[in-house]
Amino acid sequence: MTDTSHIRNFCIVAHIDHGKSTLADRLLELTHAVAERDMREQYLDKMDLERERGITIKAQAVRLAYETGGSAYELNLIDTPGHVDFTYEVSRSLEACEGAVLLVDAAQGVEAQTLANYHLARDAGLVIVPALNKIDLPQAEPDAAARELGELVGWDPEDVLRVSAKTGEGVTALLEAVIERVPPPEGSRQDPLRALIFDSSFDPYRGVVAYLRVKDGVLPSRSRIRLMASKLDSEAEEAGIFAPEATPVAALGPGEVGYLVTGLKDVHQVKVGDTVTIAGKHRAKDPLPGYREPKPMVWSGLFPAEGGDYGSLRDALDRLKLSDAALHYDPETSRALGFGFRCGFLGLLHMDIVKERLEREFGLELIATAPNVEFHVVRSGEIIVVHNPSEMPQPGTYDLVREPVVLATIITPSEYLGPVLDLCQSRRGELLDMKYLSPERAEVHYHLPLAEIIFDFFDQLKSRTRGYASLDYEHWGYEEADLVRVDVLLHGEPVDAFSSVVHREKAAQYGRSMVERLKELIPRQLFDVAIQAAIGSRIVARETVKAKRKDVLAKCYGGDITRKRKLLEQQKKGKARLRRVGKVDVPQEAFIAALRVDERTPGAKR
Amino acid sequence: MSAGVYVHVPFCLTRCGYCDFNAYAGLGELAPRYVRALHREAELTGPDWAGEEIVSVFVGGGTPTTLEVADLTGVFADLRERFEVEPDAEVTIEGNPDTVDEVKLEGLLAAGYERLSMGAQSFDVDVLSALERVHSPTSVRRAFAAARAVGYANVSLDLIYGANGETVDSWGRTLEETIALAPEHVSAYALTIEPSTPLGRKVQSGLVPAPDPDVQADMFEMACGLLSEAGYHHYEVSNWAKPGFECVHNLGYWERRPYVGLGAGAHSYRDDRRWWNVRPPQEYLDRVEAGVLPVGGHERLEPSDAYLEEVFLRLRILEGVPASWIEPAKAEPFLESGLLEEHEGALVPTERGMLLLNKLVLALTG
Repeated sequence: MTDTSHIRNFCIVAHIDHGKSTLADRLLELTHAVAERDMREQYLDKMDLERERGITIKAQAVRLAYETGGSAYELNLIDTPGHVDFTYEVSRSLEACEGAVLLVDAAQGVEAQTLANYHLARDAGLVIVPALNKIDLPQAEPDAAARELGELVGWDPEDVLRVSAKTGEGVTALLEAVIERVPPPEGSRQDPLRALIFDSSFDPYRGVVAYLRVKDGVLPSRSRIRLMASKLDSEAEEAGIFAPEATPVAALGPGEVGYLVTGLKDVHQVKVGDTVTIAGKHRAKDPLPGYREPKPMVWSGLFPAEGGDYGSLRDALDRLKLSDAALHYDPETSRALGFGFRCGFLGLLHMDIVKERLEREFGLELIATAPNVEFHVVRSGEIIVVHNPSEMPQPGTYDLVREPVVLATIITPSEYLGPVLDLCQSRRGELLDMKYLSPERAEVHYHLPLAEIIFDFFDQLKSRTRGYASLDYEHWGYEEADLVRVDVLLHGEPVDAFSSVVHREKAAQYGRSMVERLKELIPRQLFDVAIQAAIGSRIVARETVKAKRKDVLAKCYGGDITRKRKLLEQQKKGKARLRRVGKVDVPQEAFIAALRVDERTPGAKR
Repeated sequence: MSAGVYVHVPFCLTRCGYCDFNAYAGLGELAPRYVRALHREAELTGPDWAGEEIVSVFVGGGTPTTLEVADLTGVFADLRERFEVEPDAEVTIEGNPDTVDEVKLEGLLAAGYERLSMGAQSFDVDVLSALERVHSPTSVRRAFAAARAVGYANVSLDLIYGANGETVDSWGRTLEETIALAPEHVSAYALTIEPSTPLGRKVQSGLVPAPDPDVQADMFEMACGLLSEAGYHHYEVSNWAKPGFECVHNLGYWERRPYVGLGAGAHSYRDDRRWWNVRPPQEYLDRVEAGVLPVGGHERLEPSDAYLEEVFLRLRILEGVPASWIEPAKAEPFLESGLLEEHEGALVPTERGMLLLNKLVLALTG
């Protein structure tokens, strides 16, 4: 155990691609954490990839040893998830630190995620060490960026460090600044143990591994522990640190960061934000503050393309859940898509990751309904929680509806400010404030319904600003909104998978676009097929797919008969992939295409 | 059981853009060898068909009338030698208007080719040029008159509808011109774009629009109306005849009677087995001249294949399928929507149903 005065716990917060991983590499080298021959690019990220395949556990926090001024220091570099879906997880990681390096690309300047992370770090009471990266780039504008950053954190631009993680320039000075500016952790060995879980993972051989920061007391390597929020006791098997490979230690003392093999097998029992203490009479009285249950924000129905794959999908979700505490799912039956699951995700990125893993790792072909948020329907003082648009009650049967709203931060070049404001206004945004970071760049804050953000917002933002604007948001709460359910009917039959909850003013427009899209996707049948969009019993849009009149081979003589039979057999196979909605045959592909919301999620590093 | 003989003549004066048959322009010099090979193949195959009553002979192509009358006379005479051709068998030869005149037709009739099937395609100059046909409407009328003059009492005209530029009106005029000539039999085919043809490539690259299936459906309905008014009986998806003039040979395909094919690429069928000759004329000649049967491939029909064929072929002709073959629940919606009718225990497609035969077959057998 290191004396707390020689410990520094810090993290690096940065916008995507501002060089966090490369800086971590330099720090590993500088502190000789990795032998030169073992060094490879993005060292920590690659360990993370391995973990995904279940081979090892990720280095969520790496211990670096560094000597300066005759003293040996233990530096714990704690990784923070870099995505808006994981704001709560970020906040817990920050909770494990006393300081944060705020890293900004000298060519790009401050971005939305820089700001969001800065605010989170500041709110967590962290000391900020501002630094510019990539000063070696010819297009770097360190002076301008330093002014921007200095203004942001209230520092003299002169005090903003300048580094090149690529060449190593300024990295030693950065390390010295961390030791000098970031305060050592507090906490006494004599107090009852309280350790904060800031992440966890599942190892197929060792069960659930918690990543934690000891706040008070001592965590021995083998001990009977209690998880205070889960109210669970367990025999912990091993405590250790990442140096950067997992290394067992005898104990973790106050201020130290490491891992604990919890002895538990279910990742849901080891919750981010929970407090670990010693079981029995030595246990702490109060948990550490700030614990929150993981809460899905985005919902989508997942259905196997092949109906027979329902069991495989259920098994795959059960398996994924072992290592993903935030994943939520309940069986759902759709009249159009059959048996599947309504799944809850932290956000769009989380949703994409889960879908991709289901398809890639489990070989499933999926149909996903368009993502939706959670609605709160209020009826005579009672709140009905709706995760599935097709379950939204009909208008007139309830008092009001509330929807989740976010506080969005957008940074854009000033020249695109107009289009950005237009976009936010068109998405029911409420402008909170706006300021210029420099004459060229503006920062805008908006209240925006989350439902608008998950519908193609990021793509629109990027296309209106030629890719220059950045977006971050945090959840704000639930607000009343005039929302209605729009149903889509095929030949008079509602297709539950196409139902959507949208703002009343946009309902007709949404209905029209859906109906037009479907008109292109539904093949002609033996009868006219009406495609309608309806709010309650009111039809707001209608198109017709005219009946098919001709489907026959004109000639069929001697040699054609074999060919014709094979053609029919092929059509028969194609027919097996059709889904029946009432009397209408709808190809799988039509569902997939109609439900696709083309968008990329903000900050997704993929 | 009664059987048919098909003879394929793969030569054409020019190749039409839409055609994907086994036909070649510019191979005319192979004709004498080819005729000898037909004789040889008949000699090789004939014994296998001993005991089969041949009720129809059909010489098709390509353009059979590119061959000399003497050769065609010899071929049919030889078929009578090698096969048990019934005295009243239907004997058809295909010809196109530019390769026949009175002299030739007289010779063919004398040789025993009593039924003439002529590729008229259209009476609209623009349509003929869109189809890359070299003949003119006038030559169709002239050839038809020649056939009548020499005594042909059983003539069929082939028509194609839905080519680029053809309107429902112009198709109506083609039908009226056809009816005015009063042939005994009319075949009217919706133009089908085959990807491997020059026209198919033009459609794929967007140079020529694909036929509009709705317009073709209108044209089909127009043909049904006008031909029926003129006394023709609609007995197969694309075929109409005056009573008693249905094509015996083609009915054989749809009724799944056995047939033997002679010539390059010709198909044969008997006892749930199909086989076919090699397609390239040169390869066909080499094999036959070496004294081997020129079979290029074969397939045996599983009972499920045979069932599917039986259903889709019977539905093409007015015979229909016995109602007992089909689950009532599957037929019900089509009886209701008027695509099928029930006649004496058989399910028969209506004219509207004929146009949607693929869908019907899939729904009834699925």
